[in-house]
Amino acid sequence: MPGLKIAHDKCTECRMCYVVCREIDINAVVVSATSQHFLEIDDRCTYPKCTVCLMYCPAEGSIVESDTGRSMVPPPPEVWTENRRWPRLP
Amino acid sequence: MNLNSENLGKSLAEQLLKQSERDAAVTPMDTVLEAARAGNFSGDQCFRLLSRLWTLKRMMYYVYGGWAQGINLNDYPPAVAYLFGKQTHDESTQEMQLSDEILKRRWVRTQKKLFAHPYGRFSTATRTGSYIFCLRALANYPQNVRIAAHNLGPKVIELAWTERIAKFYPDESIHALFQSQLAETRSHVLMGKFQTEKFIHKQVDAELARRLCAETRRDYLFFLEETARFVLGMAEETPGEVAVSADID
Repeated sequence: MPGLKIAHDKCTECRMCYVVCREIDINAVVVSATSQHFLEIDDRCTYPKCTVCLMYCPAEGSIVESDTGRSMVPPPPEVWTENRRWPRLP
Repeated sequence: MNLNSENLGKSLAEQLLKQSERDAAVTPMDTVLEAARAGNFSGDQCFRLLSRLWTLKRMMYYVYGGWAQGINLNDYPPAVAYLFGKQTHDESTQEMQLSDEILKRRWVRTQKKLFAHPYGRFSTATRTGSYIFCLRALANYPQNVRIAAHNLGPKVIELAWTERIAKFYPDESIHALFQSQLAETRSHVLMGKFQTEKFIHKQVDAELARRLCAETRRDYLFFLEETARFVLGMAEETPGEVAVSADID
């Protein structure tokens, strides 16, 4: 199943993805238990059903598809359709 | 700044550090750690521990909010203002880590529920409340004095018990969580030392810092006492049962 991950060389650590993921109760963005405390996306992420973090991320290229490495910020048109713009229940 | 005022800051920092290290040698958190190492620690107790620490960390927003109101970027070199801002950010990161762990283990389903849960709820008539209000009261004092009181007081104690838990806690992810927080807490202590050495020049400020540091240390130790008792399921302390030497007047 495809997922998302954070590209730390681009991420500004603004935490918007963390806040919004928590807001909609998916809680897939976590703070890693390392001394750098990078934000990471864990296996609770429901992408492509939910793309809410992509909408809030201000740093181009900082969230990528884990399988392909393709940048998701700003969201490409095919993941930004009406039925995928908001989290959908399975 | 003359040599005398520089020495005043240095000797004060040294003195506060020494006192706090003495208090940090054994804390109530060591009893919690001992129970965990002996394998007598249930999931519920771990939940209690993380929730209580989370409650304190999230209340730091309230404290730093009050402190930041008194921050004027022209009062201190920008580097110090930056360090203070970084400390606020660190406290928030540590709070996020604690709630992440609680949610990951499904002890509560959502963060909103954690706010309302008896383990994570903030109550004013507790040692947690008392400590937080003690820190909030430091907003009445200049930045150099309150940073001396906080970062060379409770932060030194926090660093000591966190180091011990990070080293010996048997559960791998909890161990990693505390281990990862060490760098930040250590930097807060160093920042306290730096600020005290550089920005406490007057005898009256040094006296104030000494007094406030003793008070905040005392209240933090009471917070740890309450937390350890709560985690281990012990009865709350009776009045006068626990004595912490504050040596204020």
